[in-house]
Amino acid sequence: MPTDLTDILHDVTVLHRFVEFMDDYCRGQERSQTYADSSGAFFSYVRSLSAGIREELPRQIELATRFPSRLPILRSRMLTLKRYLRLLHALVKPAADAHVLTIPAPLINLASDQLMTVEAMRGSKIVVLLASELMYFQWPHTEIKIQARFVQDFIPSAVFPPKLGFIELPYSQGPSFFTNLAIYHEIGHFVYEELSTSVPANPGFSRLRSRIYKSLKRALPARTKDPQALTVALRIIENWTQEIFCDLFAIRLVGPAFSLSFIEMLGMLGFLSRSSSIRFNPTHPAPAFRLAEHVRMLRDDSWWDAIVDINPNQKKILEQLAKLPSSSYRFYIDEGRQGLQSLVTIFLDVVTPAIRSLVREVTKNAACSAKQFTRDREIIERCLLAGVVPHKPNSVPLNPVSIINASFFFYLTSISQLIANFEKDGEHTKVDVHSKWTKRVEMWTMKAIDERFRKVKVATHGPPTK
Amino acid sequence: MVLPRSEILSRLREFPVDSPQSLVITPLIYDKRSDIFDADSVDLRLGNYFLLPKTLDQPYFSPDRSSATALHDRVHVPLGEFLVIPAHQTVLGATLEFIKLPSDVSGQVLTKSSVARTFIVVETAPWIHPQYRGCLTLEIANVSNTPVLLYPGRPICQLILMSLNPVRKLAHQDTKQGKEDDVETDANYFGPVYPEAPKFRDPEDDLLRIGITRVASLKRVDLIRSRKGWNRKLAGNV
Repeated sequence: MPTDLTDILHDVTVLHRFVEFMDDYCRGQERSQTYADSSGAFFSYVRSLSAGIREELPRQIELATRFPSRLPILRSRMLTLKRYLRLLHALVKPAADAHVLTIPAPLINLASDQLMTVEAMRGSKIVVLLASELMYFQWPHTEIKIQARFVQDFIPSAVFPPKLGFIELPYSQGPSFFTNLAIYHEIGHFVYEELSTSVPANPGFSRLRSRIYKSLKRALPARTKDPQALTVALRIIENWTQEIFCDLFAIRLVGPAFSLSFIEMLGMLGFLSRSSSIRFNPTHPAPAFRLAEHVRMLRDDSWWDAIVDINPNQKKILEQLAKLPSSSYRFYIDEGRQGLQSLVTIFLDVVTPAIRSLVREVTKNAACSAKQFTRDREIIERCLLAGVVPHKPNSVPLNPVSIINASFFFYLTSISQLIANFEKDGEHTKVDVHSKWTKRVEMWTMKAIDERFRKVKVATHGPPTK
Repeated sequence: MVLPRSEILSRLREFPVDSPQSLVITPLIYDKRSDIFDADSVDLRLGNYFLLPKTLDQPYFSPDRSSATALHDRVHVPLGEFLVIPAHQTVLGATLEFIKLPSDVSGQVLTKSSVARTFIVVETAPWIHPQYRGCLTLEIANVSNTPVLLYPGRPICQLILMSLNPVRKLAHQDTKQGKEDDVETDANYFGPVYPEAPKFRDPEDDLLRIGITRVASLKRVDLIRSRKGWNRKLAGNV
């Protein structure tokens, strides 16, 4: 801890250089790559913060030189800044890695646009981060916002963009399309965090929270009077609530394609065995229960009827796991220790119905349409089977959610047929050939979604009459 | 025979996408028909992705297996932004439009005359085979003495379509795509939506096909000083 002005001058210089490096890094990246607007807003914030710090710190040193009594204030501000910069530092590099060439940009743009249709989320932005871990993750941003406000008190030029969320994708899945549909779940976390911490409180979330609390109070006193146990139980139920909220939110926005990508991801992580699929843990509900909720939502939204004749193996897995009886679910605190089973019962019987209604309320203007999918599906499949970007030459642009779902089912059921159409006989059994054609289907799908945006932005028409 | 506008429009509108006779150009972006349809051609726009030539770490380029990844840096230029092509430099771009040619039609891509007058040359290998699918990779060269700005989304070239003569028997719709008797699609360059780097085999593999079993190769040699003088040591392929 610096004790006098010389020491604090050294400390300030180190910080000055630190923010200068961060600023240079952001500028360099932005010059050489294209980023989504949201990443641009984040980099711009980092740069304005950096400029503000470099302007403000010398001024503070000058003041402290003239008035030594100000040294403690400067020290405390330095601490606040350091804590905050450590947080930002962890975000800047993964955000810089996530440029248009390394992420599924059309999917991210679409998801961002869909998020705008969630009434309470207008004006929000998603910054994509590329992470080294093989998982999707939403960075809790409330802490960043709180610290940003502290910093803004003495660097007023650095205003943290409102409603900015951070979502991490595994770098290995970067530009791939189908597995990255998991981002819709992470966007759900962003929405949940934003709305559950909003001021004034969002009425739907307040109702849900009080329902959780009341049901826990009713269920637990007989077993324990310990308030700490109640807090832990509350935390666990809130974790489960958030996961189910996010799954259902994703399904409302993007339909069954989300469930399929979820199964792909679980398969990749090795969580599809019966024994692991029935396990609740303190952070996540059992995959089997999650899938049962997926199926329920898909049925309620008429998606199940729309996909009744498409039967990839992933859909069978979805059905099988969803059918497991709720009596088979088990709650484990860790590998060997069972948790309080009644928490599962409360969650299933009391909390989950409230989550369903809340998701419907939040997404009332954002839900995708199974009817539209039924209308668009045939032309999309025909295009893909003909090796062509999905499009409708004579009418309105295809619905992007229809494109995503039809392409996903095509990828799961018809890649071999596509290969057989264009490759030599026998090639359809080769892994590298499958991989090559999967990549093509993903590229065509993204191109189709991208075209839809261009057509919306530029006045366009189908081919004219002669 | 060059396809007239009426035939182009008919191929775009009147055949299902999986028909061998269908022509696909997507997206079709225009205000007035005359914006992109001429009497005998369709204008195509410049896409957002480019492959910029890298500065090589060797004194020349050898077209071999490594050229697909070793030659270029991929960049994205959003709509509304521009790419500067320095004087006497080249870049690979692609059309914004994804096209599919019918099985009885070949295509040729030409630089739009207005663009050509800025001494930007698009395409030195302009021929497109029947049944081609994908965004067209454009070899763009600035042969002028000044840098030129290229804006993605602007028309850059025109597609001219020609029916095969004599008109070959069209495959029925139930015939496998691309597998009709005399027309096969090249699976290597099938369906790209970005500009594609060249795909070569190694020269020895190509030449072996015509019976050549001895092929000259340029290898980089390191000189290593020892007590006896300079020794030559193979550093690897160049």
